[in-house]
Amino acid sequence: MTSPTTATAPRATGGALARQRRRTALLSTVAVTLLIALMAVGLGTGEVSVPPLDALRGLAGLGDPGTVMLVQELRAPRVLSAATAGAGLAVAGAILQRVARNPLASPDVVGVTGGASLAAVAVIASGAPAALISPAALGGGLLAAVLLGLLAWRGGFTVSRLVLVGLAVQSGLAAAVNLLIVRFPAELASSALQWTTGSVYGRTWTEVDAGGAVILAGIAAALLGHRQLSVLDLGDDSAGALGLPPKTARLRLLLLAVVLASVAAALTGPVGFVALAVPHITRFLAGPPTAGTLVLTALTGAVLLLGADLAVLHLLPVHGLPVGVLTATLGAPWLLVLMLRHMKPNAGSATR
Amino acid sequence: MNVTDAPPDRASRSAAGRPATTRRTLLLVGGAALLVACAALSLAAGSRSVPLATVWHALTDGDQSRDGLVVTGLRVPRTVIGVVIGAALGVAGAVAQGVTRNPLASPATLGINHGAGFAVVVASYALHLTHPAQYLPFAFAGAALATLAVLALARRAGDLDPVRLALGGTVLDAVLISWTSAVMLTSHRTLDEARFWLAGSLAGRQTGILLPVAVPLAVGLLLALAIAPALNALALGDETAQALGVPVARIRAAGGVAVILLAASSVAVAGPLSFVGLAAPHLVRKAVGADHRWLLPGCLVAGPLLLLTADILGRVVLRPVELEVGIVTALLGAPMLAFLARKVAR
Repeated sequence: MTSPTTATAPRATGGALARQRRRTALLSTVAVTLLIALMAVGLGTGEVSVPPLDALRGLAGLGDPGTVMLVQELRAPRVLSAATAGAGLAVAGAILQRVARNPLASPDVVGVTGGASLAAVAVIASGAPAALISPAALGGGLLAAVLLGLLAWRGGFTVSRLVLVGLAVQSGLAAAVNLLIVRFPAELASSALQWTTGSVYGRTWTEVDAGGAVILAGIAAALLGHRQLSVLDLGDDSAGALGLPPKTARLRLLLLAVVLASVAAALTGPVGFVALAVPHITRFLAGPPTAGTLVLTALTGAVLLLGADLAVLHLLPVHGLPVGVLTATLGAPWLLVLMLRHMKPNAGSATR
Repeated sequence: MNVTDAPPDRASRSAAGRPATTRRTLLLVGGAALLVACAALSLAAGSRSVPLATVWHALTDGDQSRDGLVVTGLRVPRTVIGVVIGAALGVAGAVAQGVTRNPLASPATLGINHGAGFAVVVASYALHLTHPAQYLPFAFAGAALATLAVLALARRAGDLDPVRLALGGTVLDAVLISWTSAVMLTSHRTLDEARFWLAGSLAGRQTGILLPVAVPLAVGLLLALAIAPALNALALGDETAQALGVPVARIRAAGGVAVILLAASSVAVAGPLSFVGLAAPHLVRKAVGADHRWLLPGCLVAGPLLLLTADILGRVVLRPVELEVGIVTALLGAPMLAFLARKVAR
């Protein structure tokens, strides 16, 4: 998946590059507009409706004090956590897929979501206060990454070993979560399942502030490190020749992805699919990866998760569905259609 | 031990043909003996342990004591089902890995488990089913449909595209998982009924549950054994296989059908079990080499061996509480997979 597109990039002429840049800019503008519109709708709808523009002004602290209270205290944490977590997950997935050179890499693959789920489910099982779930999830995700690092270390890391051992770590952690769910009484099992599918209920400003800051910093770091990503795409030998030590650079980027995914998982639970699908969707829409498409990836992730959350809240007749259900349902057909349309001519010419 | 993962080439086979064959036969016979011992242990061990003498007595003259009834009524069905399902999963895994040339492929990566899980959860929600035997047709249909969908997505110009196979399988899995939990979250009753089935277990089933899947299992096994020589050629790469006169696309389709029949039957009977289908071929490849004509019979022995061992462990570890075999296989499988990956991947 990566090889044909990266192979064509150097051959592309200046015109093609400019066209791609324009295309990316256009798509990003569309995504930003969509994101703002979705935020306005998200802040405005609920038991008491507020016109979208007033809702946006309320977020900034302007206008009617009642609206400001409603928007800032009740609705904003949920909307903002969905948007930031979506962006964080998408960027984490994009980095992982490029560094691992594997189109299927996602935070699931490195065990982060498994660790986060296990820690959160253990907190639910022990009956500790719900406020502990997010920190526990963050800790669990990072611990799982450390465990993966220890298991995969053999005088150094290789990407394929990391991915394979990561699959093993993830499946073990998933089995442990499954064990807890089977052993629980039904009510606890239900809330554990709810969490592990991903949901944004009852977020508070403290969580959003902390998580949002880390995710934004992480995305900024990813943009700064994008040059390293492109150099790594050329292969280890070329990267070394260009003055970039490939091993440490790769480790740094992987660590960044792990932190992004853990923080996002602590915010919203391990929402499936965003990290896996959004990089593919962006690639199909905007072409080979550049720094610009990384921004677009973050925006698309935010739009997808926020839109899915709004649909769960307001459009579906069933209440209490986790948002992860909808991200998969909305994203999958889109990804499959893009895959079928995109890969036909391209892959056909690649094999010939 | 000097047999490597590479497909056997003609020179080495003709040079060391006899001894290798003898060694492999011995290994197979040894494995079968180990399996018999394991089955005996599976009849004796559990929350109520029964002496082996009583087991023998119960099997031969129909002992009517409580211990005898435990053996004939509960443990014999469980062990028989374990042997059959383990064999089916082992062979399905070997064929899946051979067809996709992917050492990490297994029935689970083709959407089998989650397709069955979703179908069972929906059936349990809509039809108020409560017993594993009632789930069987739904699980089989769900597993087969999901795998067909994955294979259809990956089909291009009459052949399977590996990248599309992997991507399509993962995407479909993610969707099915989230829909399954959606159904379970909307109905507490379904969650309570289905979560035990979803963990994967051999308990609480009678031998009769194997009858409806006997035909698919037999056809799948025969098909798998029939394409074994062609899978060896496939291991050399599509073009080489084509040059050797092997109809690559048709072999791959036949392999896909065999995997569907075997794995869908086993998930219908025992619920989703991961790891056996993945690990059995790897273990056997270490022992007898990568020749599929030996690998498949080896998996017939190694699959049940793994599954029965896991089941016995699940019964003994937390006695008198039982762990579902699906959870034990996953927990055992993870370290083993990690170890394997550590060794294999450079």
